[in-house]
Amino acid sequence: MSLQHLWQMSYDSHTIDILRNSKYAIPVIQSFHLFGITLLLGSMVILNLRLLGIGFLQLPMAALSRQIWPWAIGGLLLAIASGILVFVPDPARYAANYAFRTKMVALCVAVTFQFLIYRKVIRSGAAESASRRNIAVACGSLLLWFLVGWAGRAIAFLG
Amino acid sequence: MSVLSWCHWLQNTPWATGIRQSDLWFPIIEGSHILALSLSVGLILMFDLRLLRLVLPAEPASKIMRQVMPWALPGFGIMFVTGGLLFFSQAEKAYSSGFFRVKMLLLVLLGVNALVYQWKFYPSMAEWESSETVPRGVQVIAVVSLAFWMVVIACGRLMAYEL
Repeated sequence: MSLQHLWQMSYDSHTIDILRNSKYAIPVIQSFHLFGITLLLGSMVILNLRLLGIGFLQLPMAALSRQIWPWAIGGLLLAIASGILVFVPDPARYAANYAFRTKMVALCVAVTFQFLIYRKVIRSGAAESASRRNIAVACGSLLLWFLVGWAGRAIAFLG
Repeated sequence: MSVLSWCHWLQNTPWATGIRQSDLWFPIIEGSHILALSLSVGLILMFDLRLLRLVLPAEPASKIMRQVMPWALPGFGIMFVTGGLLFFSQAEKAYSSGFFRVKMLLLVLLGVNALVYQWKFYPSMAEWESSETVPRGVQVIAVVSLAFWMVVIACGRLMAYEL
């Protein structure tokens, strides 16, 4: 079964009709999407300003990463779940949209980076000081997540 | 002159028209308004969660506040400027939107909520910030802040959907 078939099935589904035909269902779901993003990006701002050595310096990195991480994951899961609900009523439109494609690639890279590299760095003892490696990792994380957010906003501008 | 006709005049000033019709500036301003949510609301939510002892309970609340505010306040500055420019560019439609009016009302109430905290609970933070029992009033303020910010985000999304 090709992706096109999957999009068509999704488009034809009666359950999904409810989402498509209700005037406010999509923007309300998008509001939860934005709320998840706010939680995720807010967490990333705190962790990365700390890693860059320019903010939240009075808080130990170990406590910050342990305490903030679950809220970042919660925000990410809320954004993904609500994002899927926005996607399924009109999958072909999104799949053809270059901003959406960019967003999905950036999201995969960001999640991989976050779990494979970033988590190790902020949980190691070396996260306390702003070494060159920490600055590079923090800039990478901020760039990736804000690219995901920006590409998401651009979906609407590309139609 | 009625508010509506003032809005009409405002959105037809050359630079409001310029923003509205710009393929460059409108996306930049709107995108910044959304991404700056992370610096403004995102950081305030974390402070609210700390007041409710749901994050960093071992760290004194005033310490978190001192660390959050230097970043959250510029964040709100960006929100205010970009939000103002977005309003200018579509003043008439925005003013006519029920969601916009609810959003503005909630922003005023959130301001009052923050002021009540500053007057009533901020001066006595040292007494309760490290204890396990947070004053009931502080909990109410934190929950109101979390809930109202969620609705403000939703109103912003809903009004843009209608414009």
